[in-house]
Amino acid sequence: MARKEPVVFFIGWNACINCGACVAVCPQDAGFISAFDTIAVNTPCDIVCMACEKICPVSTITHQKANERHETHAA
Amino acid sequence: MATPVYDILIIGSGPAGATSARFAAKMGLKVLLIDKRQELGAPIQCSGAVSRHALEEAGVEPNAEFIHEDIYGFSIYNQEGKSTVIDYREIKPDEYGKGDERKPLGYVVDRRRFDRYLMTQAERAGVEVWLKTEGLGYTPGKDGSCEVQLRRFNRLLKVKAKVLVGADGLQSQAGKWANLRTHIPLRNLASCLQFIVDGVETNGLLEIITGHRWAPGGYAWVFPKGNGYTEIGLGVVRTMTNRDAQWHLDQFIQKSFFKERFKNARILEIQGGGVPLAAPLRTQYADNLILVGDAARHVNPITGGGIHTALSGGRIAGEFLAELIQSGKKTGKANLKSYQDRWLEAGGHKIWQLYGEKTAIFRNKDIHLRDEQLYQTMSGYFSPDSTYKKI
Ligand SMILES: Cc1cc2nc3c(=O)[nH]c(=O)nc-3n(C[C@H](O)[C@H](O)[C@H](O)COP(=O)(O)OP(=O)(O)OC[C@H]3O[C@@H](n4cnc5c(N)ncnc54)[C@H](O)[C@@H]3O)c2cc1C
Ligand code: SF4
Ligand code: SF4
Repeated sequence: MARKEPVVFFIGWNACINCGACVAVCPQDAGFISAFDTIAVNTPCDIVCMACEKICPVSTITHQKANERHETHAA
Repeated sequence: MATPVYDILIIGSGPAGATSARFAAKMGLKVLLIDKRQELGAPIQCSGAVSRHALEEAGVEPNAEFIHEDIYGFSIYNQEGKSTVIDYREIKPDEYGKGDERKPLGYVVDRRRFDRYLMTQAERAGVEVWLKTEGLGYTPGKDGSCEVQLRRFNRLLKVKAKVLVGADGLQSQAGKWANLRTHIPLRNLASCLQFIVDGVETNGLLEIITGHRWAPGGYAWVFPKGNGYTEIGLGVVRTMTNRDAQWHLDQFIQKSFFKERFKNARILEIQGGGVPLAAPLRTQYADNLILVGDAARHVNPITGGGIHTALSGGRIAGEFLAELIQSGKKTGKANLKSYQDRWLEAGGHKIWQLYGEKTAIFRNKDIHLRDEQLYQTMSGYFSPDSTYKKI
């Protein structure tokens, strides 16, 4: 099976309720966290299990393939 | 600056961390308690239901400072609205109720005030507390203690301690620093959303609504919040539904048998979080490190309640560490294993049993049967003669 392509996550901060559920469900090593206590937003994820997007109670996490990342989203 | 040295350093001043700190300091240890927040408990990620027994057992005097409302029992509903009411004001009218010698069964607390209160009690017992201080990592050293890396108001610093207590909650990183297996799979973490509302009446009971239609994999709840306010919330397991918690909560409010009751609800606050309906960690210790509370998954896997277990686990951790360190013993993992053994003896085994029951219910593929089992289990769980009463 081909390895999954790394993705970068974006958080719609307007809807985020700072609940930390995405961090809790994430199997990454320690420290894969943003300054606002969500999963990291500037580091590509190579596990790509998508548990973070699923657990989010307000569905405010989206992603792009890391190599197709558009500058406009980089926040 | 010379590296500050403590007996124990506790990361996270939630119910687990503040209680560990208070008991350890009372027994004479030099304790540093840190939390990255500027205001404990905020933003709220909890409904705040806790039994009176749980507070008393942890030496916490029920106090108006943090109590939203007194609770006298439960009402458990099935999907269609049939209910089992367990009201202690009726079961034991001499013991439970308002006024003269009678008491509530439990409380709904304001986690902002509750966590601050617990921190204050710890400070008064001699604990040093640093807010706006984040734990970044730890390194066990050759001298038998460990070095903990912190960031305090943007300044990086190091502190030495004999034991680091990871009380850093659900999003715990402390266990990961020690390479413990802390991961919670998606099927064992409920995704929760709750609204504090005005315009919905309650009657001193915690109301729990089961049924796959409203909350697949979890349940919905209606809790009294004091001042006439009410909390409506639910948790869902995302491997059992394609919709998010927000969608399910809207459905529950607009379509359930409570839709008339909820029709004037006006939202005052929005909160949420993850609740581990998971097993406790199999290993909750490493060299110079123990985990307590949500960080160790010390949570009731049927109700999702974790305040009681955080308080009782905190007490066990604090007392255990005081005894160990004062006896001059080493704080490597061989000796810290006894902390976990003590926790298992004191109630941890029962949590494992509950996890077994929960898994058996949700393994059932027949949704009707599963709903019925969950309704019966919840009703039995809260009944006065439940074997799990004190968890
Ligand atoms: C929606 C929802 C409803 C709930 N309702 C109930 C309920 O009604 N009754 C009940 O009993 N339980 C309930 N729970 C569960 C309960 O909230 C938790 O089990 C409880 O808060 C666990 O306490 P704790 O002390 O282990 O962790 P927490 O209360 O999460 O405290 C952890 C602390 O650690 C700090 N921290 C984290 N990382 C770091 C770091 N790196 N450096 C410094 N500080 C750090 C955090 O800021 C926080 O203050 C609910 C949970 C949710 C999500
Ligand atoms: S995809 Fe999985 S591993 Fe990657 S950030 Fe999300 S939860 Fe973590
Ligand atoms: S799960 Fe969603 S709402 Fe919660 S902190 Fe993560 S992005 Fe924000």
